[in-house]
Formats: sequence, C-alpha cells, structure tokens
Amino acid sequence: MRGLELRRLYDEHAQALYAFLMNLVRDQADTRDLLQEVFVKLARDPDLLDGVREERAFLIRLAHNAAIDLMRRRGTRDKTREQFAAEITSPFAPASEPDERAFRAALAEALAELPAEQRAVVHLKLWEGLTFEAIATALDIPPNTAASRYRYGLDKLRERLRPLYEEIK
Amino acid sequence: MKPDNFEQELRRQPLRQVPAEWRNEILAAATARHASRVTRHSFLSTLNAQLLALLWPHPKAWVGLAAVWILILAVDFSARDRSSTAADRSAPPSPETTVELRQRQRLLAELIGPRDTPDTDRSKSLAPLPRSERMELMAA
Repeated sequence: MRGLELRRLYDEHAQALYAFLMNLVRDQADTRDLLQEVFVKLARDPDLLDGVREERAFLIRLAHNAAIDLMRRRGTRDKTREQFAAEITSPFAPASEPDERAFRAALAEALAELPAEQRAVVHLKLWEGLTFEAIATALDIPPNTAASRYRYGLDKLRERLRPLYEEIK
Repeated sequence: MKPDNFEQELRRQPLRQVPAEWRNEILAAATARHASRVTRHSFLSTLNAQLLALLWPHPKAWVGLAAVWILILAVDFSARDRSSTAADRSAPPSPETTVELRQRQRLLAELIGPRDTPDTDRSKSLAPLPRSERMELMAA
C-alpha cells in the first residue's frame, strides 16, 4: 500500500479506531500499539482492502481482533490493571463544567464495568452510529447477538447512571 | 427517563481525540515495516533473477543433465536390486540337500565302478626306462 493511501486511511479512520480501542483496552499505550498494529498490517498487505465495501467496519474488525488478542495475552493477570486504568484513562474528552465532568467520569466507569463484548457493541452503536448489521459484520457476530448485547449493556448503563442523570437534568 | 433521551445524552458525550503526534509516528512505523519487507522481497527477487540468468541461457542443457542424472540413479538402484536377488539365489544349500547329493554321488560311483589307473601311473609306464633295464628287456 502506498504512503498516500495509508495517510488517507489514517486521516479518515484513525479517530474512530482510537476511540473504539480506548474504550476497549482503557490504556493509552496499548491503544497506540494496537492502532499502529492495524496500520502496519495495512502497509504490509496492500491487497487487504481489495473488495471491501465498508472500510470503517473492516478496520474496526481489524482493531477489535487485535484488541481481543491483546486482552487474551494479558489474561486475568492484568484485570486489576485494567480496573485501575479505567480510573485514570477515560475514552471521553475532558470537560470544563463540573456536572459534565462528573457525568463523563461516571459513564467511563460504568462502561469499564461492562463485559468487553457488550462495551464494543455499545460503543459502535452510540458513538459510531453503526446499524446492528454493520456491527455484526465488524465484530463477526450475528445481528441478533449484537442487538441483545446492546440492550443488556444499555440497561446496565441506565441503571448505573440513573441517579446522576436525574440530578443533572 | 425515556430511553431515547438517555441514549441521546450518551451520544452527545464527546470522545477523546487521537493525539496529533501519533499520526507521523504510526505512519512512519508502518511505512518502515513495509519498506523492510520490500527490501527483503527485492533481495529474493534479485537472487531469483541471478539464478534465472545463470540457468536460462541453456535450459535444455540443464534439463538434459538432470535427465542423465535421473537415469544414472535409476540404473544404479535397479542394479542393486538384481545383485541382491542373485545373492539370494546362490545361497548355500540346506544340510539335507548336501546329504542327498553325497548319497547320489556315492551311488553313482558304485554303479560306475573303480576308476582307471591314475594318469600319473600311465605316464610312468610310458616314460623311457633306464638303459640297463632296457637291455634286460631286449635280451629277454
């Protein structure tokens, strides 16, 4: 793959991949490694995107697979590290207003408590605006599974954030 | 709290921006890995081209040489097989066969009878006698 094409892919998709990976692994350094891994893979195999209709979904799939591999390599050893990282690394932009800041922090914590598979679906639905079919393609799961994971994940978030949300409103 | 409102509220939360300095670093790393792979690939291509340049001027000659070698190996293997078969054939007879052969030889000897005078005796009788003995023989 030529440098120009690689730069175009980065400019169009890196932000989305970064946010998705940050939400999954909750670590800035790991996110950087995974993002680089995706682009190294693209550079190494110039034909990887041939015949791909949805670039974004395909790249999310690459990133998701890389993140799952990383999490499996870590195993249970680093679970405490992940929980600790969730406190210090939020996938959301810092807020200046106190209520906003509190809500984002609570949301980041609530997301971190979701299982990774629910978190991935919730992220792609809420912040990428993908359909369940597109999510299913990206994560290699049936659309019904994507829908049910989203529903369960959203219910947990709602339950967890309800008091704060009501208070802010 | 309506679900739609809650979802809308979540969607409104802005995500963290990818650090700007990562762009050049990641693209440089990806391009460098790609370049190293291309270099390795070009080394293999060069080796392949050199081998082709060496072999290609006379491909028929190389094929002929390979065929001759294959023929030599085939003949060698088949010869080994034959010699082993011949060795199997010339294996020593069993003790029973030996005993039977000896009995037949003995039987044959009895049927033919005793042998003639050995050649050494015959030659002795034909040999010229000493002069004194020849004189006695003539006088008699």
